[in-house]
Amino acid sequence: MPAKPDPKFIRNFSIIAHIDHGKSTLADRLLQATNAVSAREAKDQILDSMDIERERGITIKASAVTVFHRHKSGDSKDELENDYETVDDAGGHKTKKGEKPEAHGDLYMMNFIDTPGHVDFNYEVSRALKACEGAILVVDSTQGVQAQTLVNAYLAVNENLTIIPVINKIDLPGAKPDDVAMEIEQTLGFKAEECLLVSAKSGIGIPDLLAAICEKFPAPRKPLTEKLRALIFDAVYDDYRGVIVYARVFDGKLKVGDKIRMMGVGTTFQVTDIGKMTPKPVRVEGGEIGPGETAYIVAAIRSLKDVRIGDTITLDMHPAEEALAGYQPPRQVVFCDFYPATSEDGDGSDFEELRDAVEKLSLNDSSFTFAPVHSEALGFGYRCGFLGLLHMDIIQERLEREGDVEIVQTAPTVSYHVLVRGTDTMTGANGQALKPVDPSSAFWREVPAGHQLLEVHNPGDLPNQGNIVEIREPICKLEIMLPKQYIGDIMKLCLDRRATYQAQSFVSASRETIQFEIPLAEIIYDFFDKMKGLTSGYGTMDYEVITYRNDNLVRLDILINGDPVEALATIVHRDRAEQRGRQLCSKLKDQIPRHQFEIPVQAAIGGKIIARETIKSFRKDVLAKCYGGDISRKRKLLEKQKEGKKRMKNVGNVTIPQEAFMAVLDQGD
Amino acid sequence: MQLRAGAGPTDAGTVLAGIGGGPLLRPGAGLYLHVPFCFHKCHYCDFYSIVDTRDRQGEFTKRLIAEVRALAKATQRPRLATIFVGGGTPSLLAVGLWQELLAALAEAFDLSGLVEFTVECNPETVSAELMAVLAAGGVNRVSIGAQSFHAQHLKTLERWHDPANVFKAVELARAVGIARQSMDLIFAIPGQTMTEWDADLKAALGAGTTHLSCYALTYEPNTAMTARMKKGEFSQMPGDLEADMFEHTLSTLRAAGLERYEVSNFAKKGDECRHNLAYWRQHDWLAAGPNASAHVRGVRWKNIQRLDDYLNKHVRDFAMVTDVEYADAVRNLSEAVWTGLRLAEGIDAAQTLAAADAAKGGMAEKIMRVARRQMELGAIVRVDDRWQLSDQGFMIADAVAVAFLEVIE
Repeated sequence: MPAKPDPKFIRNFSIIAHIDHGKSTLADRLLQATNAVSAREAKDQILDSMDIERERGITIKASAVTVFHRHKSGDSKDELENDYETVDDAGGHKTKKGEKPEAHGDLYMMNFIDTPGHVDFNYEVSRALKACEGAILVVDSTQGVQAQTLVNAYLAVNENLTIIPVINKIDLPGAKPDDVAMEIEQTLGFKAEECLLVSAKSGIGIPDLLAAICEKFPAPRKPLTEKLRALIFDAVYDDYRGVIVYARVFDGKLKVGDKIRMMGVGTTFQVTDIGKMTPKPVRVEGGEIGPGETAYIVAAIRSLKDVRIGDTITLDMHPAEEALAGYQPPRQVVFCDFYPATSEDGDGSDFEELRDAVEKLSLNDSSFTFAPVHSEALGFGYRCGFLGLLHMDIIQERLEREGDVEIVQTAPTVSYHVLVRGTDTMTGANGQALKPVDPSSAFWREVPAGHQLLEVHNPGDLPNQGNIVEIREPICKLEIMLPKQYIGDIMKLCLDRRATYQAQSFVSASRETIQFEIPLAEIIYDFFDKMKGLTSGYGTMDYEVITYRNDNLVRLDILINGDPVEALATIVHRDRAEQRGRQLCSKLKDQIPRHQFEIPVQAAIGGKIIARETIKSFRKDVLAKCYGGDISRKRKLLEKQKEGKKRMKNVGNVTIPQEAFMAVLDQGD
Repeated sequence: MQLRAGAGPTDAGTVLAGIGGGPLLRPGAGLYLHVPFCFHKCHYCDFYSIVDTRDRQGEFTKRLIAEVRALAKATQRPRLATIFVGGGTPSLLAVGLWQELLAALAEAFDLSGLVEFTVECNPETVSAELMAVLAAGGVNRVSIGAQSFHAQHLKTLERWHDPANVFKAVELARAVGIARQSMDLIFAIPGQTMTEWDADLKAALGAGTTHLSCYALTYEPNTAMTARMKKGEFSQMPGDLEADMFEHTLSTLRAAGLERYEVSNFAKKGDECRHNLAYWRQHDWLAAGPNASAHVRGVRWKNIQRLDDYLNKHVRDFAMVTDVEYADAVRNLSEAVWTGLRLAEGIDAAQTLAAADAAKGGMAEKIMRVARRQMELGAIVRVDDRWQLSDQGFMIADAVAVAFLEVIE
């Protein structure tokens, strides 16, 4: 680890991009160009980090990597260290053999901070950006500006970051760097000629980019106080060392042995290790970091619950008066239930497996919530809250893969704010008290006297219709970028889903961006796939919840064989309830196999049946022949039928396949 | 009676030796013989049969007799209650070979208590001479593969006989004193109408038969019939019409005095096939011939299938066997329940619950719950402490069976 440069030579920045526009390749190339990793290492990074993991007992997730680089003030093109033979200089840094280090300019410390790539993690993205002064905005020269490009760029602009627009993959055959530069000018207001042309893969433009990082990105701001204030921008759980916190120091100093306090949570810990990823973990010299620096901190923190990303670390003995601006708890906007897939035979062992998996995963990801639920239809499970749809998919996949449990997932719902008359505690379907909306939430609104505003994300928990004054649902700002010729189809798709048109703007001669406001509930299942289908895969979208709004919403119950099946209940707009009810009944009729008896499938609002289908009983189901030689074989056939039934769920006397529970998701006709 | 599974290839003698303890076969035991020869393979058939281009009947009969002797010896020359010769086409076997086989059976086993000796006959291959030899050898029942009395449906099935020969076969049997004649019929043949099926039933009854097996055409995997359907040559009969035919079968035969005693089997009281009942009542039976299956006290096995292997690979005259399933309380109970429920007599409730209790704690209660539910649904009825399928239950016997199997594990 080289000696620390003066803070004016520190650069903290992120790389932001639409998915697959080359963010990781560019990051790897920068590490290689600054000699942080060799060309071989750059290729074998994953393997290497696994070795490190074994050797040092630490899980490497390079949330922030520190590299060193020399730059002469005023230069627009830097030398690349990996181009020449190096020796270690006095400061522990590498420099060109036979030359004084200063000959290559001043030593800069570059801290580059990783951000999750997807909008579901907007909150994390903006936390990470808060730790930076600059952002490299990467746009693929074959794809152009996409929806996530815009959203990420807006986030960076909101954090007052300096942005360097980079057009990547310029050596690909389909590259249109000039057109893309025009798109960037059109949509984001950067001058087309400001864009750097780069190929992260082949190294074109990297000298220019390194120079631009040093020249254009500002140095960290001057400390405002002597007292420690460090922003937590990421935290990962490590089996050996507990929670590892990534933080950016804004004010004061932090050293090993200090007792720190998390200003938001109020917990205190003793710091045992401070280090940086280079990208190998290296303990910092003197065990101390100061203003402008980023580092990982180990402090025997047992659970991610003790840490909030966005919280401010200060010293327990000399606490800062005020935390760094703007902590908000992560916002779960999408909810669904997870149940073990195999039917419980009374012993509940499958639920135990699910519980273990959920609890273990929560150590690694503190941004999903979970609470046990019981459903008549599906047994014991968990109701989980997610930052968005992708987050939900990731959690489900990780539970199945890492926890080795098979999961039945119910239809995702959004979180509703329900204004009800009366102030007595109200209970949900499981008898649990319904929680009022947190007044610190950005979406909380004044509650009239004698009323309460409840948070409900399970249709089954909706209070008695008579007590409900209004149901507010989350509304998103939806941005879709697409080739012009698909605009008509996308308009129709959005308007069919209660969207209101906001604006349309020009991106290039062939592409436009359209903005809508749309209820989140309308896009949580198949919207993305439909949008992709309608635009032949060319459309990209991004969304952000901006407000909660009242609408004429009702709970649509589904009754199978006369019994309401909670897991199939949904909240829908009154005007569309009948159509939806008919659709659901007909879907369920196709999904539920015939039984020994006739099964009515009904949709109802507040006890009033609005749609009905009947699943006829089967008439004949019997093997014609079963003689001596057939017994073993036919037994296996029957066993197979039995196993098939086992994978279904029993609701009363009706056996319902898991797919039926997913039928509610499908908005299609 | 402890044997381990998975011990590699074995033979019937070794399996029988492993069963040990007390008299091997319980009273009422049967013997099944499989004659694999056919002169033409019917398209719906999934029994083991070959159209033998080389004349191996003599070699086969010799081998079969040796196997029969070995089985009889290993089981201490048991007293058999029933013998059933199936195929293939047993009636295709030359008369002289039949004589040898019948003599060998009489010598190897104690036939003093034999109540039923059935031979399957193809209407096309029976002769007065064969019938006389069979009758002299103790055969008292023939099962005639009539299938349909409509030429176009026989053609769909790739079944080559003149429907008139069915009646001739019945007469030939009667003429030599073979008192019981059964017929096999098939319904739900693609293109078949209710009227035609009704005519088939009436024709069979008209021949004075007192036992009928009426099978809904089943598309077994790996049969020509299934392949032809998949190719689109014809389509399966609509489910409702098939169900109608199934119901019509019951009402027509019942009106003629033939009661259903098993899903597909109908007989005048006392004319039920005793040998087949043994399969569904979990009695013991030995088996000889390629691909023949045996069951002795909860243990099931099957002779090696290919004729070549059957002729050439054997140990101390016992056939090599495959698919050995050793006795297992839960599996045996499940077999007793689902095969027993296929019978009109059903299963003994107390006995079933006792066996469940012995097999696994708590199972009896679950079985009771299923039984109660099936009674609620009208699929089974309780008569004299037996659970029996109702007429409606017979229509969906498999679903009822699966409901029980769900709790027998």
